[in-house]
Amino acid sequence: MPAGSTSSAAPAASAAPGAIVVAVAADPREPAGPRAAELERQLSAGLEGRPVTVLVPAALPERALVAPGDPRASGRSVPAADLAAGGVTGRHSPLGALLAEAARRDAAAVALVSGAGREEGAGWLRDLLAPILDGGFEFACPTYRRGRFEGLLGTAILYPLTRALYGVRLRQPAGAEAALSLGLARDLLASPDWRRDPARAGSDAWLVAEVLAGRRRACQVWLEEWPGDGGLPEEASHALARIVGPVFRELELRADRWQRVEGSEPAPTFGPAGPRAAGPDGVDVGGLAGRFRLGLRELDELWGLVLPPATRLALRRAAAAPDEGLRLEDGLWARVVYDFAVAWYTRTVERQQLLRSMTPLYLGWVAGFANDLRGLDAAASEVRVEALAAAFEREKRYLIGRWRWPDGFNP
Amino acid sequence: MWEETRRIFVESMEEVVRATARILPSILAMLLFFVLAAVLATVARWAVRRACERLSLDERLREWGVATPDRDGRAPPSRLVAGLSFWAVLAAGAFLGLSALNAPAVASLSMRLVEYLPRVVLAIVVMGAGLAAGRFVERGVLIGAVNMGLESARMVALGARWLVILLAAAGALEQAGLGSAVVTVAFGAVFGGISLAFGLAVGLGARDLVARSLGRRFGEKPPAGDAEGTERNRLRHL
Repeated sequence: MPAGSTSSAAPAASAAPGAIVVAVAADPREPAGPRAAELERQLSAGLEGRPVTVLVPAALPERALVAPGDPRASGRSVPAADLAAGGVTGRHSPLGALLAEAARRDAAAVALVSGAGREEGAGWLRDLLAPILDGGFEFACPTYRRGRFEGLLGTAILYPLTRALYGVRLRQPAGAEAALSLGLARDLLASPDWRRDPARAGSDAWLVAEVLAGRRRACQVWLEEWPGDGGLPEEASHALARIVGPVFRELELRADRWQRVEGSEPAPTFGPAGPRAAGPDGVDVGGLAGRFRLGLRELDELWGLVLPPATRLALRRAAAAPDEGLRLEDGLWARVVYDFAVAWYTRTVERQQLLRSMTPLYLGWVAGFANDLRGLDAAASEVRVEALAAAFEREKRYLIGRWRWPDGFNP
Repeated sequence: MWEETRRIFVESMEEVVRATARILPSILAMLLFFVLAAVLATVARWAVRRACERLSLDERLREWGVATPDRDGRAPPSRLVAGLSFWAVLAAGAFLGLSALNAPAVASLSMRLVEYLPRVVLAIVVMGAGLAAGRFVERGVLIGAVNMGLESARMVALGARWLVILLAAAGALEQAGLGSAVVTVAFGAVFGGISLAFGLAVGLGARDLVARSLGRRFGEKPPAGDAEGTERNRLRHL
């Protein structure tokens, strides 16, 4: 049971079967209270007959969910360091309190949504909840329409890695927003991880891994707008350390599960799929290639502890190409990610340094990806992403081999 | 004459035997100290090794970049630490043993050495920690500088490492009580000089880079036409 999971200030609604509980997560740009109240009004109007309760996290140091009008709702509920797009650590996630509220109220469905303002009303939330309420699904993962050069970390690592590990094709498995069934909420709430590792339990990566490794009925729902669009872009090294670290941690703790998974299956999908046609149409490949070559020159000694010689040779060959021809072949990139995951597991290099040292490689991959996407439309770009994910699946045997025998001969 | 010779010989022998009898307990006590010190040193080495194993010292130092991987064939750091503890205890025992001899000069010298030994050990520990921290800082600074796109990342990282080592060396010498005033002044001059040089280098050579970094840190929008800022605006990693 998560700490601070009960809220004395939450509306004392009697247990109402069929109710829906929504938690609006903290947002650095605006207070969550007014947004939550508006969402409750709109969602109640759209879901006739179902009581809707929208809650917001109380200000620190309290760790509970309260009604939007509660005086404790004003103030920062997440430390400043955690307030960046893409999710918070388990310790500051409102997920635990939300699950407890859902269980207490016997809610038919429960959703965790971003506090960032959307211009779409509450229709998107109805769409997200629909597979839980009407389709019998246990977990609905939102997938946002985004440009080809947005959410690159998800495209480069999160999507292909999650797909290869757990065998489910969730296109954007970030986990910051989600809808869950009551059964799943209760099972998650009963997890011993809340007690054993409170920093991990409730984090975005933990939620996704629990669902996919536990073979829960998961689906994805295409939504129009990504709620994080208003924020400042996060630096690549920070994003890598913050997002990929928890994913590697789940990989480490669920090794017995993912080693038995082969291939992948598409997740049931709702809503019109596909990336947004608008958005940035290219990136400064020269700048990215320069960062990649600089990393190759200066961090080669460090990477020698992580990557086998053949991979480093392939990277040097890739770096020797002109900017427009630079490309990290899919299999090579998959092996690089897997090698870093193994190095994380074996603690070959201090973990934060390890993840940050991956930045030039990631930027090199972005440069190659941008080269590949030149002249392709949005649909063709998705085909390219699928090819990358397939390469991660093909190279999974490499990961399993290295995981089992990390000190084995690896030319 | 023969009688006289025999008498002198017997008296000398008696004197030697008496002297030996006088000094023998001290020698035995010294040997006992040596044996005890050897036993304690062995126990200390074993205990330190066990503590290092429990703390996973070798793994942690490898993780922080302080020690090289096993495959290099070098002695692991835990063995060095255990060896240091063994010889420190043995040396302390030997000095104490020497003090058991009834020789005032030797006893005084050995007692001073025994008193000085902990400071030497502490100085070695401070220096070792400084060297380890220097390696860790070097790696962290190198990664950060590369991620910032600094062409001279290696030099910046080396500078950071030597600053840490310099600080540790000053601390170790201070601990050892070697020319403390000179060391403090020299360290202040060198450290201040390096800091000034670094500040000037950053101020004159990388002003724009620092301005951009600080701007990013505090959420300032990059100016129009700023290539890196434009790039950052375009690339959304999340």
